Amino acid sequence: MSQEVITTKDGLKVRKLVSLKPSTSEEYREAIMHRVDHFSQKRDSVFNNMVENILVKGLELILETKIRVDDLLGDQKETVQDFIEKLLFIGL
Amino acid sequence: MYHIDGTDYLKQKYYKKTRSICPECHEPIDAEIVEREGEIWMQKECPDHGYYEDKISSSAKYYKWTHFKKKDKDGNVEWQFLKDGETNPPDCIGDDPRGCPYNCGLCEKHISTCSLALIDLTNRCNFNCNFCYANVKQAGYLVEPTLEELDRIMEHFRSKPIPPPAIMFTGGEPTVRKDFPEICKMAKDHGFKEVIVATNGYGFQRKNGKGLEFTKECMEKGLDTLYFQFDGINNETFEKTRGIKNLMSYKQRVIDNCREAGLSSIVLVQTVVKGITDIEVGNVIQYAIDNIDVVRGITYQPVSLCGRSYSEDDLKEMRITNADVIKMVDEQTSGKIGIENAWYPLTTIVEFGRIIAYLADVEPVEFTCHPDCGFATYMVVDPDTNEMVPIMDYFDPIKIVDFSNRFWDKIKHKEKEEIKFFENILGDFGKTLDKGVNWVDKQQLRARFLAGMLQYTKKPGKLMEMFTRILLNGEWESISAFTHGTLLISSMHFQDAYNMNLERTKRCIVHFGVAMPDGSVYEAPFCTMNTLHRPAIEKKVAKKAGTKVMEEFDTTKGERVLPEQEVVHNGGTKKEE
Ligand code: SF4
Ligand code: SF4
Repeated sequence: MSQEVITTKDGLKVRKLVSLKPSTSEEYREAIMHRVDHFSQKRDSVFNNMVENILVKGLELILETKIRVDDLLGDQKETVQDFIEKLLFIGL
Repeated sequence: MYHIDGTDYLKQKYYKKTRSICPECHEPIDAEIVEREGEIWMQKECPDHGYYEDKISSSAKYYKWTHFKKKDKDGNVEWQFLKDGETNPPDCIGDDPRGCPYNCGLCEKHISTCSLALIDLTNRCNFNCNFCYANVKQAGYLVEPTLEELDRIMEHFRSKPIPPPAIMFTGGEPTVRKDFPEICKMAKDHGFKEVIVATNGYGFQRKNGKGLEFTKECMEKGLDTLYFQFDGINNETFEKTRGIKNLMSYKQRVIDNCREAGLSSIVLVQTVVKGITDIEVGNVIQYAIDNIDVVRGITYQPVSLCGRSYSEDDLKEMRITNADVIKMVDEQTSGKIGIENAWYPLTTIVEFGRIIAYLADVEPVEFTCHPDCGFATYMVVDPDTNEMVPIMDYFDPIKIVDFSNRFWDKIKHKEKEEIKFFENILGDFGKTLDKGVNWVDKQQLRARFLAGMLQYTKKPGKLMEMFTRILLNGEWESISAFTHGTLLISSMHFQDAYNMNLERTKRCIVHFGVAMPDGSVYEAPFCTMNTLHRPAIEKKVAKKAGTKVMEEFDTTKGERVLPEQEVVHNGGTKKEE
């Protein structure tokens, strides 16, 4: 159950939401979860660009690795972040 | 929790001097913003009309956070939520000795560009809400710009060096105009990226296929978004706010017709009134989530107290602030959209937005209003739980804001001046080569920015992918895909004469445009227009209203009974007998 319905003395239905799950159709929910696939089914979608897709996949892998490394770094995370930021700003 | 927890800043009492206006005579006067018992208040004294006070925020802690200045070790401000905006050349030089806000038009002291252009299409309406200023019947005259005048206003906005990317048609009820679809087309032809209508749903809800046909036609002509008056999900609530019974089926028909027509960008707009609509805040969120295929956002608008004098007790009784709204959202969602972690002032993303606009080659949207004007949170679906969560679960927002600000500081000169390395050596011939150099430069900047964003991303998932795609191709399709199935929830508190802070008005980013009889266009910030300038301006542009116009939507006498609607005869809040 995603909500508790309280009826006020004026007869108004007031909900206290305890979960924020969409109740939209399964088909649409799928589209939300797989939004790129949903859009790329159109023939002339920008999401069918091979170079872009490779880049995006690459970034996805980097992100997953980064999150694992973050866990390992623990307290050192901020120092590493500062260091990487310095690298990113070189020459700007 | 906020990064100011445990700091001395929180222990100090907030105090700031500013300027406001007297609620009685509207003359500009000095005002103080002070902290009192965990709240923030405005105090001011008019030499002729005495002392006034009004609540600005019901949470001093939240308010102080939004006014926090992050400083470096030498005490220089590194960033704050109060941003200085870009400016367009002024339309007038303010010569009224009273100064702001009597020099609107727009004067040289205004320090933001317009992000959202507003045009009142008509003061006719099929409703007769008791707190509404736009009503042909009560005014006794018609305010309805011709197509030629509308063209002039749109031209005025779009010909500015930094034009507003979005336009919203307001009223009255804009869709009572038969030429409404043509007006949407005109806006698209003028280059507005986003065409929005503030509507009670009139044109879109009509039965027997008419509403659906109308929705499709508007979409084809260029309408993108409905800013849809939506006070709650209970008929009783609408009856109190709009004076009409059984309005929910009317509202639902709008949603259904938009769904069928494929118009999937509806923003539910709830006017938050104490004791009437405030208990429906959570209901509206649930409704939005249940209709997430067509609803893109919710805007809460704490009611502004315009149009008459309010006593001190009235004010205390009726005033709702943005902080109250976000507390209610917190309470009514069992803390899932919490005041302590989900909400940020709109100005938070100024630098971030500028970077995206520059790197993705899209028009910037400048949210350089005052931090008190509005707060927002962005809800996305968590793929693991299929539940909507604030985007802050994915990113470390403060770190990203910090990084974006520093990044923009380093690259902003490039936006103004492209690299001209080869042109300087080879003249015109070098221009083509420089194009290539600039392209490569942007690619390396994109890579750096993405790498920075990755640093502060906490969870894997589609969001980072969508963000990357916007940056890589800058296409509308990427932006649509990003917003697909997401919900932007905001709370926008428009000012009235009691709480007007001239520091806010001069930063306003939402501007009305009015075609004046002398051929010029008058541009004024939303809050000063509604609080001060509207009566005088409307008198100048008013047209005589014929009997047919006066009677067409006269709901005040209950003569015209809409199907499934019954007008409450006092034409407004139904008073208990
Ligand atoms: S609100 Fe803006 S345009 Fe109006 S007088 Fe003040 S600075 Fe000028
Ligand atoms: S719907 Fe109500 S608030 Fe909106 S324009 Fe009509 S009368 Fe005014």
